[in-house]
Amino acid sequence: MTPIREAIVLPCVFLTVLLLGGLRIAESTALVPPSPYSLILAVLLVRVVIQSGALAPERLMATSRSELANLNGVAVLATLWLASAQAIALSIPESGLPRLALSVFFLILVLNTSAASPDRQRLLRSLAVTFGTAFVLKFVVLHAVSAPGEGAVKRALLALLDGVTVGALLQEVPDPISAYVALLTLVLFLIGVMLLPSQRRPTRLELPMPSAMSPVP
Amino acid sequence: MDETTARALGLGATVTYAALIGWLYVRQPQTITQVTGGLSAVVGAYRIDDRAFADGLRSFNADRFAEARLAFDRADPAVRDARTQFYVAYSYYRQGWGRMYHDDRLYREGLAAIDRAIALAPSGRLVVDDPTLGMHSADEVKVELEAGLRREPSDLNPMRLFGTRK
Repeated sequence: MTPIREAIVLPCVFLTVLLLGGLRIAESTALVPPSPYSLILAVLLVRVVIQSGALAPERLMATSRSELANLNGVAVLATLWLASAQAIALSIPESGLPRLALSVFFLILVLNTSAASPDRQRLLRSLAVTFGTAFVLKFVVLHAVSAPGEGAVKRALLALLDGVTVGALLQEVPDPISAYVALLTLVLFLIGVMLLPSQRRPTRLELPMPSAMSPVP
Repeated sequence: MDETTARALGLGATVTYAALIGWLYVRQPQTITQVTGGLSAVVGAYRIDDRAFADGLRSFNADRFAEARLAFDRADPAVRDARTQFYVAYSYYRQGWGRMYHDDRLYREGLAAIDRAIALAPSGRLVVDDPTLGMHSADEVKVELEAGLRREPSDLNPMRLFGTRK
């Protein structure tokens, strides 16, 4: 990994995720920091990333590296943690039953992924599917359900649904641009994880084929 | 670029970017103008538009409060000037003041503006030497607005009809 990628690109990518992920655009714009729960989930996620080999911490911090290089490594790790927390917080709905369900879902998923011990490639695929699914659920399905209808029938159905679920299902619908910002943020986070210094694969010893060793007469 | 330079630059950029994000989280600016104005204020380079402020003051003294606020908004687009925010709060107070009742919505807006003014003033102390005003300090305006928003038995006192707008 080049020093520029480690010292500049990765921290900037993860800090951008932290910034954009906190953006809530509605009538007034707000920057929401990651919740303590998502910070804890992020610790587990970073652990899984290390366990899978997608991140080799010894390539970021080691006694053989200079102090400055180790500081760059600390910056990468810290920003990765914050960006992970923000990506999780962004993927979880804002309120009600969907928030509770997705929060538990993320916890189970991270623990399950940890137990399965995937390799780097499988983990990246799994993260893409997990965040992609959460994005579709929050920004497409739930927002489509919660959006105020133009027709009287849809408004009546929404009121009925809100009453039946005691207001636990419907979400506040943000500005349409929020979905685009969220998608950009999640893609940026996945790119960042992909760019992390991964564990070097052990070099395979090329053993001679048995047929080459003992040619059949 | 050699490795040490790249690493030092990267560390500096990371710390600066993180500080900027922290500042944005704390300040919660609503517009790009507020972001740029806030950053200029951090380095002491923020100035209000004096001409727009004078327009606002003229409208304020003529009891044209909505016009005055538009001019004050132009004068202080980043909402970083304590004196301008003081006048914004005062305009809400004067517009919302009534002999029979006060307009709670305007008073609440005024309270938000005076809180901003106090937060922006050095050590939270703000005094405006304007002889046309009945209240000169931000604290007086804040107390008056808070009193206007409270529901008390004294609201029913008929002597209130003889009260004067400050």
